[in-house]
Amino acid sequence: MAIQISSRVPLNSSLLEVRGLSVNFETIDRSVEVLKDVSITIGKEEVVGIVGESGSGKSTLAQAIVGVLDIPPARITKGTILFDGKEIYPQRDNNYNFRGKGINMIFQEPLTSLNPVYSVHDQMEEAVNIGSPTKDKKEKEEIIRKSLNEVMIRDVDTVLSAYPHQLSGGMRQRVSIAMVLVQKPNLLILDEPTTGLDLIIQRKIINLIMNLKREVFSSILLITHDLAVAANMCDRIYVMYAGRTVESGKMADVLHSPLHPYTAMLRNSIPEGYSSSGELKVSSGSPPDLRHLPKGCAFNTRCPKAMDICKEKVPELKVRDGSREVACWLYD
Amino acid sequence: MTEPILEVENLTIQFRVKGKVIGHGGSRRKWKRVLNGVTFSIKEGETFGIVGETGSGKTTLARTLVGIYRPKESYVKLYGRRIDYTKKEDLLLLRKTIGIVFQDPVGSLNPRVTVSDIISEGIIAKGKMSDEQRKEKIVEAANLVELPASKLDSYPPELSGGEKQRVSLARTLIGGKKILVLDEPTSSLDVSIQAQILNLLTRLKRELSISYIFITHDLNVIKYMTDRVAVLYYGEILEQGSTEEIFENPRHPYTSDLIEANISFSSSSEFSEEKVSGEPSGEGCIYKNSCSKRFSACEKTPPYFSYGKGAVKCWLYDYMGERKAGIGR
Repeated sequence: MAIQISSRVPLNSSLLEVRGLSVNFETIDRSVEVLKDVSITIGKEEVVGIVGESGSGKSTLAQAIVGVLDIPPARITKGTILFDGKEIYPQRDNNYNFRGKGINMIFQEPLTSLNPVYSVHDQMEEAVNIGSPTKDKKEKEEIIRKSLNEVMIRDVDTVLSAYPHQLSGGMRQRVSIAMVLVQKPNLLILDEPTTGLDLIIQRKIINLIMNLKREVFSSILLITHDLAVAANMCDRIYVMYAGRTVESGKMADVLHSPLHPYTAMLRNSIPEGYSSSGELKVSSGSPPDLRHLPKGCAFNTRCPKAMDICKEKVPELKVRDGSREVACWLYD
Repeated sequence: MTEPILEVENLTIQFRVKGKVIGHGGSRRKWKRVLNGVTFSIKEGETFGIVGETGSGKTTLARTLVGIYRPKESYVKLYGRRIDYTKKEDLLLLRKTIGIVFQDPVGSLNPRVTVSDIISEGIIAKGKMSDEQRKEKIVEAANLVELPASKLDSYPPELSGGEKQRVSLARTLIGGKKILVLDEPTSSLDVSIQAQILNLLTRLKRELSISYIFITHDLNVIKYMTDRVAVLYYGEILEQGSTEEIFENPRHPYTSDLIEANISFSSSSEFSEEKVSGEPSGEGCIYKNSCSKRFSACEKTPPYFSYGKGAVKCWLYDYMGERKAGIGR
């Protein structure tokens, strides 16, 4: 007999809560820790960014939240995920179906999230059936056309009868946004939504998402490697390195006064001025190989401010100034 | 410093295609023009940037410059000498002078050859050198690009993305090339690694006084790296000039659209939603279908109007008087 636990009352107004999530990738000869004790919260109507380089675990986190992580090789060793006050991992309350109307995701490469053998119209219809299943056929048709119009597709008829491979990259991404739009999710997860798109299209998609957010979505989780994109979209960010959160806080605070040396380095990596503005301040070394992490803080080999203790013990994520967290011995 | 070392005049490349060409006016032409009248020149020690979106022909331009595509008529002058792509000695001179670093380091390095052998591929006249001399040169080149000597016996799959790009660079530099064509050299790298490579390129340019042709879609990188920029749109240079001039006073509507759309820490939230991005036009100005400032004159193809430090291909600048078929200096 299933135990009734859905009556749990949310403690605060946060929409998504990930508590102490740890994920391992297990192969025949070893087990690699990809996420280590990661906790994030997303408030209602908040845009939260997760920023990090390759190997930071940002995509694994998104996949774990949506529940599309490949298990095996992945294994969630620890942690709970609450959505809207209901537990969705490890125990799913009442088989609560959180996907679709609850959490929805847009992937980096829309070609892999669109089905190549169905026309855009058929796929849109499927999405509408999830979003508003009670409507009759005519109304559904109207919703499809309206949402394609909203993502600024002008030639709706051509796009509706097309198959994904016949559309350009920007167009495909718009279709996948339109599909999400008709489902009216409470939380939208964007995994590098504009990487690989042309500049003008990228800017259009970002503006589109932000406008739609005001109308439909209540919250957004943005996953990106680009601090500048995050700066233009997010209210709050988490910076990740080697599977751990190293810093979090309000976007403007983190951008203007980064506490963790890694955040500062990310910030300095993006060129801002002309060549006369001098060398970019980055240290040598590359993003960590999770199989061979250094002892202590994973960033210590690249850190310009590394001390002895950094090579010995991993710093804990500690709260500073109320809204900020940082995991660095400099602030101990 | 005064004489240009490389001049490209009115370079036009077309590819043969089957059937209808979509995206170039939609007419039933059998040839698709990928580059149309591209004209620019580079001086010693200069970094020349080429910005363009997908399909603008930037990679075709890079490949033509190093002789991968060989146009029948010559448009390229090296040290004042016209390069005839059908002549072997001209091609040799081209290859001795101009090197290329590709975007995809995985595809451009043979996975079954060690790093030191890959770097030695770049030495011209390898036979005349003793083994020790060759070894010495390889170590020297590796030092130059800050590649640890311990990596010389590795194979490309064992290297990180940044190290692969360093190997590509070392292979090009070892032959003493004067001009490097960098085709999106940092697009596939993590941001902190991109910054390392940009610093390295800046240092190499200063120490070796080589010239770069830097091709990318990333405006922040172009702004930081280059002295002069050309804006490429579907095979045509719409505007070119000094980097500061282009970024501070973009003249062509396309250039200002690009700069407005660029995302940086200081980018403004002002970006007009109504901006259309139409197909490039087959007649008249190529950008007219997407242009917000289109007017009657745009039905005819505009010439270049030069303005001191640059030139722009747009009828809005008709009043500036001086018209040129190509871009003057």
